[in-house]
Amino acid sequence: MRSRILRSVFRVGWPRTRQARLQAMLSSLVLHVHPTRVRVHVLRPSYTLGLGLVSFFLFVVLTVTGLALMLYYVPHPDAAYRSMKDIEYAVTFGMFLRNAHRWAAHGMVATVFLHLCRVFFTGAYKPPREFNWVVGVLLLLLTLALSFTGYLLPWDQLAFWAITVGTAIVAYFPGLGPQVRYLLLGGHEIGAAALLRFYVLHCLILPLAMAFLVALHFWRVRKDGGLSAPPARLHRRVPAWPHLVFRELLVFILVLVVVHAAALLFDAPLEGIADATRTPNPAKAPWYFLGLQELVHYGAIFGGVVVPTAIVLALLVLPYVDTSPRGVGVWFAPERRLANTVFATIAVALVAVTVVGTFFRGPNWAWVWPW
Amino acid sequence: MAVAGTTGLVAGALGLLGALARSVVPDVLYEPPRRFPVGRPADYPPGSVTFVPERRLYVFNTPAGFYAISAVCTHLGCNVNSEPGKGFACPCHGSTFEEDGRVRKGPAAWPLPRFAMVLSRRGELVVDTRRTVGPDFRLKA
Repeated sequence: MRSRILRSVFRVGWPRTRQARLQAMLSSLVLHVHPTRVRVHVLRPSYTLGLGLVSFFLFVVLTVTGLALMLYYVPHPDAAYRSMKDIEYAVTFGMFLRNAHRWAAHGMVATVFLHLCRVFFTGAYKPPREFNWVVGVLLLLLTLALSFTGYLLPWDQLAFWAITVGTAIVAYFPGLGPQVRYLLLGGHEIGAAALLRFYVLHCLILPLAMAFLVALHFWRVRKDGGLSAPPARLHRRVPAWPHLVFRELLVFILVLVVVHAAALLFDAPLEGIADATRTPNPAKAPWYFLGLQELVHYGAIFGGVVVPTAIVLALLVLPYVDTSPRGVGVWFAPERRLANTVFATIAVALVAVTVVGTFFRGPNWAWVWPW
Repeated sequence: MAVAGTTGLVAGALGLLGALARSVVPDVLYEPPRRFPVGRPADYPPGSVTFVPERRLYVFNTPAGFYAISAVCTHLGCNVNSEPGKGFACPCHGSTFEEDGRVRKGPAAWPLPRFAMVLSRRGELVVDTRRTVGPDFRLKA
């Protein structure tokens, strides 16, 4: 009886023969996202660093912890900050859940960015994977948008002024900027309407878009013939069960361990309640936008409009411009020295201005030494 | 038949999406009014510069008359701090402004706007943030 019920759910039991292992991959909704057999080349941790997978698992962690937080959080200026205090002090494990959500979000911004770097340095965006690269760029933008909309929700000074600066940058876009800001805030200033809009974007609209694009991203990996590999190593394959499935489980466990450790060791910041009359000095955007804020310091149009637009456009057209099939599937291929050098220079410059904005800027955005 | 069906489908979809897009633009704002009183002239001592935090502006009482300058930095929207005798400094990106709102040092590109100000019949100074005025504006009160 028990085995009949189990069989109705799983179809194949624990797969022991080679044939059963191939069948197992096909007969489960979750497993059939994978191929039945997978290239040895892409199983090596040193090839992918598991960054896409880590990003996805962090998204799962964020969805679960976010749903729990939604049961207590109230998206209105009169109640938001108080509900944050409740989550931190009156909800059992509330502080832990909030910490996990916050650090997983920061981690996801970092791993998505690093995943993009990995795909570039291994030339994995080249045909036939051009469109999946574009989907990946959209996923990066969605990740930033999710993180940014979540940043306002605590309704503390940190949140309020970071979003003040962030949405003011939006208004610099020529033509539509002020209208987009008005639409985003649901008015002229950051108040009840803005908080509600950010909440709905953060909890529903953007996660749904993210889930759809993640599904498309994974599906395209399969349709484009699996992860990239050099031509000589395309054909050595092993069954995905157990070689791929258990590696993925191991990565999931590692992600959970690191998120737990971070959430137990470090508390998410919560400053005083949002106050439009007092600007903290210095007022800083979320860390992943501090590079932009540093550039904005040199000129709002240059840093807030020209640089980000140029970067996003360059990323979107890249796979349609650079279509040479050489140097795919290995890190830092010699044939791609020029492309890799240009990309690395821009990436390092972005990281550098972010570090400067985060650690080397004090009151009135004057230079300070962090030690 | 097919043409009529397709047209109907497209028109219906466009109508729904259009209505949806329009509905997202708010018509009624539950925000503080943009024309408001800031107290009586006597509340501001002669020669003073006063920050009115709930309105995010500075009221000047000079020998030539009153005027009001926005406290919202034209760069990215932080409140500028008054530095007596030296004008204003923004804590976010380091812009500084003269007492009259002109930019002394960037990154701000535009001066702090000066708002229209009138004396109401009840003898209150009333600021209208929807209207800006030139640098020569003074209100005799």
